[in-house]
Amino acid sequence: MGRSLFRFVDALELCTAYIFCFFLNLLFDYVKTLDLGPYILKDFFKNFTDYQTLIIFLFTFIVIVFHYQMLHRKKTEVYCRILVGDTILNITIRYSLDCLMILGFVYLLSILINVYLNFNLTSNLYLVFIFITYILISARQVRKYENF
Amino acid sequence: MTNIIDLNIKEKVYKNKKTQLSILNNFNLKVNAGEKIAIVGESGVGKSSLLNIIGLLDIDYNGEYTLLGSRTDNLHANELAQWRNQKIGFVLQESALINSLTIEDNIKLPLLYAGSGKFFFKEEDFENLINAIAIKPILKKKPLECSGGERARAVFARGVIMKPQIILSDEPTASLDVENRERIVNLLFKMNKEFNTTIITVTHDLEMANRHDRVIHLERSR
Amino acid sequence: MKIFKFFITKIFLRKAILSISIILLLFMANYTTFIATRSILSTFQGYQEIKCMNQEGIYIANLDPDSDVDIDAIGENGTQIVYDYLNNNFNYAFYTDGFMVSLPNIDDMEISLCYMNEEYYELNQFELSQGTDLDFDYQFDKDKEIPILIGKGLSKTYPVGSTIKIEDPVLEQPITLIVQGVLKQNAYHSNFYALNSKNYYNFSIFLPVNAEFIKNANIDLQLNGLMDIVILQTTKEKTVDLSEVMQDNLGLKFNFFSQEENFDYFKEYYLYSLKIMSITTLILLVIITCLSIWNALVSIRLMLRDFTINLLVGLSYSKLRKIFYSYFGILFFINLIVIFSITAYNRYECWLRKDATFATYGFFGLIGMDWFALLVVFLSDIIIGKIIVENMLRKIKKIPISLGVLQ
Repeated sequence: MGRSLFRFVDALELCTAYIFCFFLNLLFDYVKTLDLGPYILKDFFKNFTDYQTLIIFLFTFIVIVFHYQMLHRKKTEVYCRILVGDTILNITIRYSLDCLMILGFVYLLSILINVYLNFNLTSNLYLVFIFITYILISARQVRKYENF
Repeated sequence: MTNIIDLNIKEKVYKNKKTQLSILNNFNLKVNAGEKIAIVGESGVGKSSLLNIIGLLDIDYNGEYTLLGSRTDNLHANELAQWRNQKIGFVLQESALINSLTIEDNIKLPLLYAGSGKFFFKEEDFENLINAIAIKPILKKKPLECSGGERARAVFARGVIMKPQIILSDEPTASLDVENRERIVNLLFKMNKEFNTTIITVTHDLEMANRHDRVIHLERSR
Repeated sequence: MKIFKFFITKIFLRKAILSISIILLLFMANYTTFIATRSILSTFQGYQEIKCMNQEGIYIANLDPDSDVDIDAIGENGTQIVYDYLNNNFNYAFYTDGFMVSLPNIDDMEISLCYMNEEYYELNQFELSQGTDLDFDYQFDKDKEIPILIGKGLSKTYPVGSTIKIEDPVLEQPITLIVQGVLKQNAYHSNFYALNSKNYYNFSIFLPVNAEFIKNANIDLQLNGLMDIVILQTTKEKTVDLSEVMQDNLGLKFNFFSQEENFDYFKEYYLYSLKIMSITTLILLVIITCLSIWNALVSIRLMLRDFTINLLVGLSYSKLRKIFYSYFGILFFINLIVIFSITAYNRYECWLRKDATFATYGFFGLIGMDWFALLVVFLSDIIIGKIIVENMLRKIKKIPISLGVLQ
């Protein structure tokens, strides 16, 4: 066990949540490029693609849930680490960097797929900003567990 | 004196993927109304498991159990829950409180499941109880805002508010100082004296155990 | 009720983020189901409507997508020759709409004029709420008043028997119309090549046309009427001849499709689309349900002690099950209200925009297909709710009460 609050399962969970949101965004972009042919299909998918940003934003809530439950579960661990010599600042920075690393990895993956599909490279960028915001907010919450 | 508990366990088996552990082999227990029983033994011998069986929390064992004249294997899950509400009180470690509720809400929790007609709650009784255990100042506080002793008294109050016939306490004084330990034990014995409540306590504290009417030493099955 | 209120206020809402995220996930599931159901139902309705025209011996016109369309090059002579050929050789159903006229009415809507001949009217069997069917036997140049049918939206301003004077956009002259009947509420016409797309006739006027009328109308009516013309009781060879006449005189290539060709088209085009829609909806629902289960299990993980302490002091598993079902029942109800509100507002927006072709009358603003879609959403909610709740209970039951209490 290292100094990170993340275990393999936690990292996998967060990675999956990020991949889901990025993949969904890519899927919307891909559907928009398709020549769907039948009007009925175009009309059906339009109900989703017209509200792409809103729908993706709503789904990013699963990342908020992840951060929330992760920190809740780790509060004893945070307190114990402080007891044995770690500092709240270091724990917070480490936590943020771990989240950013996972986010960076998934974003890189999505860029590669964007390049392969010849999509606009910046189409996923807004998601990165949303997730960075979530990371910063959740990092603030780590401080709450200083005194258990 | 009538037996309110007549328990005959052939064995209780804990299974996981790799191993199987059998405890409480051929264990028999008869308890009269108003008795104070202490259960002692080394760690892992099955003290808490025994308490869970007595308290109808665990029905997965090989044996027969007659509680207050009724065979428990005939009881439906809803009836088991009702008995836990009205006939059995649990006094556990001081951490067994809901952190998001106030101390008052924690203590009054069993009243929520009392149903109508079967139990008549008097506010006067509640006042007497909290005064007896001196926790009036912390009623509106949350458990994390209280000391260990205060939490232990809150857990005790929750366990006795329904005036149960049997109180099961599992290491109720485990993390308490001498003064609070004495307090909890005296409160339990007061319940026994005033209401003829049967007390069954699991403890590592031999001094506390010896103050009970009977001490049962559980040993590991060979 | 007391116990349920306790759980809502003291347990579930204490972790508001979890409640909000589950509401959002369930909303997405409901929205997807609602949209898919409505699209499928609307397509099915359109198909039922078209079926009456798609019979043996009937050929439906379609402008060839590769045809070079130069409207300016088409003269009235050209269209007149085509119509003369049609009148001499075929029975045909004629329909065109989209011609707007300003007419005072309570709702301030622009009125759409729909021109149709007797064959088209009889093929479609329009239902009336008042009055009598259209009369096509009027003498165009002699009769002063042309009998019409109106949509429900106009019936208060122009009851049966009243007369309306308009400047007809295709005849380019004033005409007098007499209201003969009122169409059923929300009578509609589906686009043949987009069956789920509907125009509603609530603010429309059905104007009966005959050969004389068409002859005196401008090129707009004549040309638009040819786009969707339906040839009755004919053969493929004859439609080929007609197509040649149209090509020679209008410069437009028209294809005529038989019943069998149309069925094949529907199978290939619509059934395939409906399959894609259904599969997409199902996949989305499965994904969202899995996410909801994950969210619910996270809630259990975080609130385990709260649940097990309640179980310790007398809550039974069956009561807990009821609490969970009631909780999710409330969440689903909230979602249904939201979807209902969005749909009702969308329908109302058509009235605000004065969009006469989409303005509908409904029960609390929603029409039949909207209510049916809501019912399907409700049924899917029951299934999703059952899956989530049983998974939650399974997780709670897995952990002994004595352990959960000390979490």
